Amino acid sequence: MTSIGTGYDLSNSVFSPDGRNFQVEYAMKAVENGGTSIGIKFKDGVVLAAEKIVTSKLLVPNSNKRIQTIDKHVGVVYSGLVPDGRHFVGRGRDEASSWRSTYKVPIPVPSLADRLGSYAQAYTLYNSVRPFGISSIIGGVDEDGAHLYMIEPSGSYWGYSAAAAGKGRQTAKTELEKLEFSSLTAKDAVKEAARIIYLAHEDSKDKEFELEMTWISASETNSIHQFVPEALLKEAKQFAAEATSPEDKMEE
Amino acid sequence: MPGLSFENYQRNQHLATSGFAVPKTTSTGTTIVGCKFDGGVVIAADTRATAGDIVADKNCEKLHCISSNIWCAGAGTAADTEMVTQIISSNIELHSLSTGRQPRVVTCLTMLKQHLFKYQGHIGAYLIVAGVDPTGPQLMSIHAHGSTDIGYYLSLGSGSMAAMAVLESKWKREMNKEEAMALCTEAIESGIWNDLGSGSNVDMCVMEVGKDSVLHRNYRTPNVRAQKERSYKFARGTTGILGQTVRNLVDVVEVPIANEEMEVDS
Amino acid sequence: MNGISVDVNHLKKGEVNLGTSIMACKFDGGVILGADSRTTTGSFIANRVTDKLTQVHEKIWCCRSGSAADTQAVADIVHYHLQAYSAQNDRDPSAKVAASLFQELCYSNKDSLSAGIIVAGFDEMTGGEVYSIPLGGSLHKQEYAIAGSGSTYIYGFCNTHFKSNMSEDEVIQFVKTALAEAIKWDGSSGGVIRMVVLTKEGPRRLIFYPDEYEKICN
Repeated sequence: MTSIGTGYDLSNSVFSPDGRNFQVEYAMKAVENGGTSIGIKFKDGVVLAAEKIVTSKLLVPNSNKRIQTIDKHVGVVYSGLVPDGRHFVGRGRDEASSWRSTYKVPIPVPSLADRLGSYAQAYTLYNSVRPFGISSIIGGVDEDGAHLYMIEPSGSYWGYSAAAAGKGRQTAKTELEKLEFSSLTAKDAVKEAARIIYLAHEDSKDKEFELEMTWISASETNSIHQFVPEALLKEAKQFAAEATSPEDKMEE
Repeated sequence: MPGLSFENYQRNQHLATSGFAVPKTTSTGTTIVGCKFDGGVVIAADTRATAGDIVADKNCEKLHCISSNIWCAGAGTAADTEMVTQIISSNIELHSLSTGRQPRVVTCLTMLKQHLFKYQGHIGAYLIVAGVDPTGPQLMSIHAHGSTDIGYYLSLGSGSMAAMAVLESKWKREMNKEEAMALCTEAIESGIWNDLGSGSNVDMCVMEVGKDSVLHRNYRTPNVRAQKERSYKFARGTTGILGQTVRNLVDVVEVPIANEEMEVDS
Repeated sequence: MNGISVDVNHLKKGEVNLGTSIMACKFDGGVILGADSRTTTGSFIANRVTDKLTQVHEKIWCCRSGSAADTQAVADIVHYHLQAYSAQNDRDPSAKVAASLFQELCYSNKDSLSAGIIVAGFDEMTGGEVYSIPLGGSLHKQEYAIAGSGSTYIYGFCNTHFKSNMSEDEVIQFVKTALAEAIKWDGSSGGVIRMVVLTKEGPRRLIFYPDEYEKICN
């Protein structure tokens, strides 16, 4: 079967004869074109990082944030269609606050991932809607420790030690697989995340980009999701730049 | 609008404010009891229904069937015990059909309590629910506001104190069916004799594990009306016959039927 | 109204009332709940062996005081929510979650409810926990809690005799003595003393009859 839909790709909720939902597959294409985003789980927390392609010199640096907070203890980064992501985060915030108002405790990260997974899945069922054009990486810390999930346009979600989405995900995944998660500290994870985003950007070197990073850690941030401090970010960028510079490679 | 209609309640309010007498409800100013025994449970009730200080029915039925294995004794407003019991009976039947299982007493109890709680005591039904289900013999009670109790022996209604006095003094663990029936009879009779709201006969229902439940309608009739000393009937022949005429009211005419061959449907 | 004893006039006419003595207390290795067993309608004892200790999850229980119908209805709803919680989230709810559900129901329906509830639960993470939810629907986390009409008589006793981290035997004696006093002075409390001990081993029921507990306080 070709990847062309032959009429079965026009609507959601319609299977092709060999059991595919083309709308979901096209949504995944939208994700593949988006800027790279990654998440790394370390000993007592999670770091999230995004490669933000600078599409215009007129954009104000450090504004137009790509990583958002769902609840105090949960952060999310996504690759794909940004407005879809914004809406998805809004739903996440609704779920988290509704949980807080009934149970008076923060939502456990697995429960949030489950609810958002169900939400994304619902958008593959009806012909009046289209699937979300994003893969979102959700990281958080709750009473059971750190969690990292990635939700895809199909609505399927898995728990990860590290996850990557977007254009540079292959390069990123190869690097992530080399990490030793059980011994990784928060600061090392931040540096590694920066390095991997820099490395993943190599293939689209012609474009300017900005690195955005957040973290949540029981020891470093009191289990609150926040942006990596300026000093550490600078240090991480320096580390990343040195690790990926061509001079280093020539020395090998 | 689903649910109950409270139009009559509003009408009665209106009558009261206009200075008219409010219509009386028939109340089962009642004695009802229930008692567990080895291998089953028995419930019993008196048969008097009252409206104010009038005996409205001398032999009413206060034992209601919810399903073949679950029976219910009702005190309070007669109409409410009857209706609530019928509604839950229907729902239990449907529930049993959809689950493919024998109905349970707790299921029945939960349906009743949720229904009564919803109506905040306006449905004046006070019930003793009993039966045998796959979990064994069960005995429970419900008040009109929706609270429930569980016990080895229970009594409800205006005669509950009289009945409870008997139960408290004569109940014992490990009774057989006959002992439990005798105890319940005595408790109801205690209500019949000592409570103004209770009277007439004893109805009883026995539910045993592995057997069909048995309803003993008028199990005891301690208040049979005595034969009237004097009969007010006129003896036959009191009025003498002076004459007799017999007249045909209908003329009988014979019509000959045409002698045709009967046609057989081909 | 002091928010502790139930306003009997507020109860609808003929409503079944739990004129009650109830309490719950943390101890070393768990939490304990205790209650008398008297249910009244006016001056009539409708049930002398009532069970006012109600299970809403394996190791989360509550003590009920106020209207029997109201507290049973609320406990049934919370029981349902906690079953749904464990099924949907693959984890046991904490005592705080249970107490919050009770609090939400009691607060949002405060005009139509007369319910004074104590929630107690145990889990390996937090140990034993006690929450008190008095009439208005507020929520208070406490080391121990007392409530019901009989509780007014034992504020002093509990205040002087409560200790943190009692042993199981000590805490049973503490609850038994406190409730024996409450029953002695409160006409609306009586019958047997029921207790539930919640530890990592799970729930365990205890019962004490009048001929035993009446000897404690002559």
